[in-house]
Amino acid sequence: MLHKNPHLSMRHISDEDLVRYADGELPSHRAAEVETHLKACWDCRARMEDTQSTITGFVRAHHAEFDGQLPPAAGPRALLRARLAQLDSERRVEWWKRVLQFRFALPGVAVVGLPLIALAIGILWFRHATQREWRSATALFDTGVAPNRGLTPGATREVTISEVCSVPHEQVVGGVSDSLRQKVLQEYGIANARPEDYEIDYLIAPQLGGTEDIRNLWPEPYRDYVWNARVKDALEERLHELVCSGQLDLHKAQHDIATDWIAAYKKYFHTNKPLSLSS
Amino acid sequence: MPRMDSLNELPFPPLAAAAREAEPSAIEREVIALYAQFRDPLLRYALSLDLPVHDAEEVIQEVFLSLFRHLQLRRSRAHLRGWLFRVAHNLGLKQLYVNQRSNAKTTPDWARAMEQLDPSPDPEEELLSAQRHHRLQAVVQALPENDQHCLRLRAEGLRYREIAAVLGMSLGAVSISLTRSLARLARADGR
Repeated sequence: MLHKNPHLSMRHISDEDLVRYADGELPSHRAAEVETHLKACWDCRARMEDTQSTITGFVRAHHAEFDGQLPPAAGPRALLRARLAQLDSERRVEWWKRVLQFRFALPGVAVVGLPLIALAIGILWFRHATQREWRSATALFDTGVAPNRGLTPGATREVTISEVCSVPHEQVVGGVSDSLRQKVLQEYGIANARPEDYEIDYLIAPQLGGTEDIRNLWPEPYRDYVWNARVKDALEERLHELVCSGQLDLHKAQHDIATDWIAAYKKYFHTNKPLSLSS
Repeated sequence: MPRMDSLNELPFPPLAAAAREAEPSAIEREVIALYAQFRDPLLRYALSLDLPVHDAEEVIQEVFLSLFRHLQLRRSRAHLRGWLFRVAHNLGLKQLYVNQRSNAKTTPDWARAMEQLDPSPDPEEELLSAQRHHRLQAVVQALPENDQHCLRLRAEGLRYREIAAVLGMSLGAVSISLTRSLARLARADGR
């Protein structure tokens, strides 16, 4: 073990420095010294290999202990998405509320405050009025967020789980032809509805085996903003992921979304209100 | 199905923003991407704290909701991995404390050991490696808690600096802890 620097070559590397060297945690000058020493010293090299082998053994044991317990990520990911959307919309509303509160809190700004109060009352009245108007327009089918089950019981094709799950949820988006759209609107007694007021939505989503059949299509109002299409999209995605991760039977998913999609949402997201919206 | 035009239909956009039909924000997408990357490592770490799976999963959800708020407030993006593990560590210990307080019965160690002793007809080699795993796992479980945390965090890829920040210890203490633990594991391994 002769070396140009006898001081270095004689002193073996400490256990701690070996570990730090293996982990790339040594300052570069010290790492260079250790490297030189390792080339010259079989003892230290053997200890180094033992250290590596212990690390390998531990990492394998660590994975063996926990990897089998990890549930599929798809379901929790869908839940996280919905919760994030909810947080985001809450923040937007809070921002607006804060602006109003800030104005009212300032002393001597009644000049600014009064018009704002008037505006707020105006907004409330307007919203109330438009909502009432919208409710009467959609009175034909209850609240407008759930389809008429007599007209739209849902329709499916024969599909296998592997067919349903071979395509990611996002890629199965079907458009409805104009003529079919008009038929659906007629069926619901709103043939003159403006195109921008309603979306023709699948009751049972195509990615869950739903078909482009008039029994599976209904006019979903854009204006409803509690149980709206985005909320239903979130449910569809969650059901798709539950089905594809083997946690839910496909027919059960089809049945639940067709019977009462809002109830299904509450059930599968464990909530009473849409997670993607503030109440 | 997704569409974008309804926002313009609503009166007074600021209030109606709650009804936003827009695509997820950039921050939401960023959080989801980080979730895809770090969910498994974080979940393994939370499980190593001895949390039941559903609690561990919920803790990880909380971690990413906190991350979302963190990013919304335009806080630092540096060292996000260390940040995630630090929050997971703190929330995990908190949950563990709640569980212990409520005397929630988690799976006893022996039951977990039995599960891992799954007597499936493995080839001899696999049996040997399974035995080695159990031996090493037993040694790890006998280590002081902080040493276990260091080792698990290192196994999930954290650098010493990150581990030091997660556990609130010095860099030197991290390397001493890891060295000590590896020496014990090596002895158990008959080296």
